[in-house]
Amino acid sequence: MTRWLRNYAWRHAIIIAVCLFSLFPLYLVVISSFNPNGSLQLSSFIPREISFDNYKLLFNDPTIPYLTWVKNSLVIAGSAAVLSVTIGSASAFAFSRLYFKGRKTGIQLLLLVQMFPAILAISAVYVIMERVYTFAPAIGLGSQAGLLLIYLGGAMGVNIWLLKGFVDSIPKDLDEAAKIDGASAVQIYWLIFMPLAAPVLAVVALLTFIGTFNEFILARLFLVEMESRTVAVGLQQFIGGQYSENWGPFAAGSILASIPIVTIFLSLQKYIVNGLTAGSVKG
Amino acid sequence: MTWIFRGKVAFVLKLVILLLLVSVLGTLTQSAIAQGEYFIGGFLALTILLLAITYLTKVSIPLKFFLPGILLLVAFVLSPILYTVTMSGFNYKTGNQISKEEAILQVQNRGFEGDENGTTFDIKIGRSNLQEAILVSDITNNSYFLSTVADRVPLNPQDLTINEYGVATTAPNFAPLQDSELAAADKSFSLKRFKYQDEFFIALEGYEVGIVSRQVLAYDAQSDQFKNIISGAVYVDNGRGNYALPDDPNSYLEPGWRAPIWFENYTKLFTDERVRGPLITVFIWTIMFASLSVLTTFALGLLLALALNKPMRGRRIYRSILVLPYAMPSIMSILIWGGMFNTEFGAINTLLGTDIAWFQSELFAKTAIIVVNLWLGFPYFYLVSSGALQAIPDELLEAAAIDGANPRQIFRQITLPLLLRILSPLLIASFAFNFNNFNLIYLLTGGGPINSLDGELAGATDILISFTYKIAFGSSVQDLGLASAISLVIFLIVASISLYGIRKSKVLESFQ
Repeated sequence: MTRWLRNYAWRHAIIIAVCLFSLFPLYLVVISSFNPNGSLQLSSFIPREISFDNYKLLFNDPTIPYLTWVKNSLVIAGSAAVLSVTIGSASAFAFSRLYFKGRKTGIQLLLLVQMFPAILAISAVYVIMERVYTFAPAIGLGSQAGLLLIYLGGAMGVNIWLLKGFVDSIPKDLDEAAKIDGASAVQIYWLIFMPLAAPVLAVVALLTFIGTFNEFILARLFLVEMESRTVAVGLQQFIGGQYSENWGPFAAGSILASIPIVTIFLSLQKYIVNGLTAGSVKG
Repeated sequence: MTWIFRGKVAFVLKLVILLLLVSVLGTLTQSAIAQGEYFIGGFLALTILLLAITYLTKVSIPLKFFLPGILLLVAFVLSPILYTVTMSGFNYKTGNQISKEEAILQVQNRGFEGDENGTTFDIKIGRSNLQEAILVSDITNNSYFLSTVADRVPLNPQDLTINEYGVATTAPNFAPLQDSELAAADKSFSLKRFKYQDEFFIALEGYEVGIVSRQVLAYDAQSDQFKNIISGAVYVDNGRGNYALPDDPNSYLEPGWRAPIWFENYTKLFTDERVRGPLITVFIWTIMFASLSVLTTFALGLLLALALNKPMRGRRIYRSILVLPYAMPSIMSILIWGGMFNTEFGAINTLLGTDIAWFQSELFAKTAIIVVNLWLGFPYFYLVSSGALQAIPDELLEAAAIDGANPRQIFRQITLPLLLRILSPLLIASFAFNFNNFNLIYLLTGGGPINSLDGELAGATDILISFTYKIAFGSSVQDLGLASAISLVIFLIVASISLYGIRKSKVLESFQ
């Protein structure tokens, strides 16, 4: 018993304390979402009444297009994930496997470019898209398609870099054997590399999805129309600005929007962590 | 399977996709050039050319793979960066945002004044023979006329409907605009100059009043000067995007244009007290914030990794709970924490039994930021530290124990140095990330507390990137030129930090 105390008690004590720290805000959100008063209050640890008003509000109030926001987020983040991995993996394959002039410079340039924090170029992106708007409103400022294009460009550097690391780790003998058998680069890419890379592509796609889902500033600057907003931008409106401090619906909306993300994250934890450490160059 | 990549099917498919892309891009190019956006149009045209060459010929196989990625990078990452570099050399701020031609046009349009008596007329706006026209009632002189841009027609009061104030409301050959049409017609009327007499014309002031005015500012293209016809004052291009009096630089004409001022935005960072002061304090806090964030998150993460580094009951469930803050969308978490720190009804004050206005005092706001970032960041370091701990060979630790080292010595002299070596690239990356942790600052404190009454640009918790954002998109003055200059300075700092980190992690080994 004393041995257990000496060896384990402190561990449990520390861990439980930190667990409480990590659960505290989450617990608050959950009880706030069931609290009809709409404030993020700690009047008591056990909620006195449980109401679903906040959830109902999200789905029934015509001025709050919550489902549209969620749909927007899913569509934008989903397309960004799929497209950026499709385009990025082809580039990564070229940088890793094909030899051409300027390859080394290209890779170094890629690294340098992705170090420029996207948010710093925000004013330039804004001005450019403002100009695009004058002749093509569908992909200019205020459009989801335009935002998606910017996300794609922004994710390209990191994704090419991550995926290149993976392609590098595939034994070269494989594609050399295929080459001897007469396969073209395109065939090697589709028939050898793609099947092997599928799990990694999934992880990179997932990271891109989560990253895009979490993006706030560009989305807020870009999507002005209520109907075209993403869920992060839409929910922020509840507590900043026109709805003032409306925590109840915000909490309910956050919980619903977070559930899919948290579930995916927890179930694929191992792979995601590997991906993160592999991409530690970017952080 | 291979048939997909060979033969006619593949070729036709490729051709169809290519054609679709090219036709979309072609339309865009056309409309871009029609709008005078030659840079964007040129880029699009080049894109079409490259796509066609790459996918229809066999010039380069690698290009087939990376062309789409590179095009996206160039369009949305590289060109914004280059644009930022360019903007940093310009006087590009509120009041100086348009091109010189537009500025000259606008100065001319605004450059009129009323006559000596400030004569105004009651008017009705409408159309005559399909042209914009106003029905003017000069009540003092009991005279009425219809005025268009080109012409002025006197009217006989007997032909008009005149209301109790003496204002004519209808006239032959004149169709007044309905109230519902006014807003839409505003644009076509507001800039028009309706004929009066001699050099005087009537300019609209709202929908019912016209002011007798004359042009006082005249532009002379030859000498590139504006001249005030009445006072004789001459405004010259001051080289910084405005027409100003040569002997009084502070009287200049609005609006100005974006003019090249080369390195002035950069020298401003060091010489202009209004910029330099905040920049230094912000820079110091940025470094402090990034260091403290890395330190606290790493310390807590490592502590947890050590505590959980033994098989024990509940390990799996602990792990899941500890990772939760990392799995939550960070935007939501930050906003929730913002609510928890609220003074009146926030959970933190209730829990502590205090009444602290967290975001009103510099020290408390900074504390809150560090606490929230600790919550957001410790799971990451817990995860990577656990991984790193497992990578340390057991023999090393066992050998040390046999040599008589106690657990504390083993940790301090073997485990920690090894861990730091394994994790140093991640620590550096985390520093670089927090250096630009815009979302946290922007959403939690908004950079405040700020003393905006004093005209301060930066709040107490602003880091460089949120400060830059304020300069570029702030509520009072938006100075894109200055913001771009600061952006590039930040880029240099972050790039050197990251390059140092990469060199340490030796990722680039294979290319050296």
